[in-house]
Amino acid sequence: MAVNSSEVFRSLGVNPYRPWPARITSITKLTEKEKLFEIRLIDEEVRNAFTFESGQFVELSIFGVGEAPISISSAPSKQGFIELCVRETGTVTGALHKKQCGDIVGLRGPFGRGFPFDDMKGHDILLVAGGLGIAPLKSLINHIHDERHEFGKVTILLGARTPNEILFRRQFDMWKHREDFNLYMTVDHADETWDGDEGLVTQLFDRIEVNPDNTYGAICGPPIMYKFVFQEMRKKDLDVEKIFVSLERKMKCGMGLCGHCGVGHQYACIDGPVFSYWEAMNLQEAM
Amino acid sequence: MFFRILQKESVSDLIKGLAQTREVIGPRAKGSEFVFDVIENPDDIVLDYTTTLLPPKKYFLKSKEEMMRYNSKTGQVSEDEVAVEPRVLFGVHPCDINSLLLLDKVFLGDYVDPYYKARRENTLIVGVSCMPTQMCMCNAFGTGEVHDGFDLFLTDLGDSYYVTCQTAEGANLIDKYCETRAVEPADVDALQARIKKFNEAFVPAPDTSEIPLLFDAKYDDPMWEEIGDPCLACGACSMVCPTCYCFNVRDVQDADGVSGTRVREWDSCCFSDFAEVVGGHNFRPKRSDRVKYRFYHKQWGYLSRYGEVLCVGCGRCNTACKVNINPRRVLEALTKGGEE
Repeated sequence: MAVNSSEVFRSLGVNPYRPWPARITSITKLTEKEKLFEIRLIDEEVRNAFTFESGQFVELSIFGVGEAPISISSAPSKQGFIELCVRETGTVTGALHKKQCGDIVGLRGPFGRGFPFDDMKGHDILLVAGGLGIAPLKSLINHIHDERHEFGKVTILLGARTPNEILFRRQFDMWKHREDFNLYMTVDHADETWDGDEGLVTQLFDRIEVNPDNTYGAICGPPIMYKFVFQEMRKKDLDVEKIFVSLERKMKCGMGLCGHCGVGHQYACIDGPVFSYWEAMNLQEAM
Repeated sequence: MFFRILQKESVSDLIKGLAQTREVIGPRAKGSEFVFDVIENPDDIVLDYTTTLLPPKKYFLKSKEEMMRYNSKTGQVSEDEVAVEPRVLFGVHPCDINSLLLLDKVFLGDYVDPYYKARRENTLIVGVSCMPTQMCMCNAFGTGEVHDGFDLFLTDLGDSYYVTCQTAEGANLIDKYCETRAVEPADVDALQARIKKFNEAFVPAPDTSEIPLLFDAKYDDPMWEEIGDPCLACGACSMVCPTCYCFNVRDVQDADGVSGTRVREWDSCCFSDFAEVVGGHNFRPKRSDRVKYRFYHKQWGYLSRYGEVLCVGCGRCNTACKVNINPRRVLEALTKGGEE
């Protein structure tokens, strides 16, 4: 695993609970409930030491409110800032949504185990995201995009409840016309603006061809989705050790200390949040 | 390591000597119970105590502590040096010493917890032998003896203590502050008699073989509802547990609305919202889910990461739980069955 900034700070003997001041440098409203925040660590030395892998998360502090774990949506190939795609649901995310460009937040991390990007190189890729599940997968998608020549066929299946709830819709609308990405989008409930597929993301599997010997899969979405998408991937004979899922838990400290993100006999914050499907099948409470 | 014999009447000399340069903390009576507390007068210490209400954990992982001050406008965070006066924990039982070694694996591991570390480094440990109570089950986990994690250990031989000097600092202190004598063959004989007496005093230990395997094999067994449904979700088991380390972190804002303090407090996986994520989804909605998880983590989760069970058999949860949920009952239920 690549050395990331957590390890750098650890070797410097810095208090791992200490958040670093960071500035919100851009806010993009994506849907009614989600915004994309571009965040830049203020201290130059800290900013330069901050590196991460797709699938990892940060602990975001809104001082006075608390911390929340949020997966990084931007690609590791982009340095100097991170993007966080955040739904307004809890106290910390609610407070973040009230912030303005230029406001200060705190960051710790990155934490956890990401997607095995280097192992995925040289293979076809099948990515399946439902709803907010695109947030961590977006980092992987953009990273693959930035090193596109390293990968075989790349297929992306995206599902959302309604057209208005599709995250990053502008980017994906443009990608529909690209030849180097096979992108399929579907919504549960179409409206007059939608001329694409209607139905669950699992239906899109009828449309795709997969080489089972040479494909890595990744799934991210609401917990209910995993089982059904996994079944479709197994029908295509994908290897359970080459399918990856990202598990959402209450990762409060990020370091395997506070105990809140326990999943079976492991902790999502340090053993995951990305697990191979085989690992997840062997974890009580995972699915 | 070397050994000395310390007469019991000389223990107060040792405590007085230690108190010259450090705070002395030890077991003393509180009503009909015992607690770890500051020992102002050496006569207050009770070395033949049964067990304390709270384990020594509270001196390393405080029940509530300030982690840092923040300024929400600038994002600047200030940490005070974790100031810990030199101190000695005097009279710690083997189970509790072993519990600190288990906490060390968590808080002095890949990510070092600076608060825990500072307190650990400034604290000497003087252990003392015990006799098992009806609640004790260290015999199930091998935690009734210590091989590490103390400076001095006093094994009760009646009128004297057989002193194990584990660290040079411990040896120097006992040399400096009190009279001891060399060990004679009769003392070793008394030591062996004491070990036998100790072992014979236990309630037989529950079977612990293949516990992780049985946990998974009986993960959906009705035993969990039977044991776990009555749980009051009071968290007392975790608070009195020497090895429960889960904590919660929250911000306490000052009246100015700008600055504040980030604090952490003991938490329990038996509390209803422990595994609830934003949006309201609770990964362990039922009491029995949470009770099962607590034991699953202690007997298997921690073991899978650190190679040991996260229970030292001190028996405190057994006393604290008002609805009879305890490790002995869980282990007995797990190992029940299979009779020919």
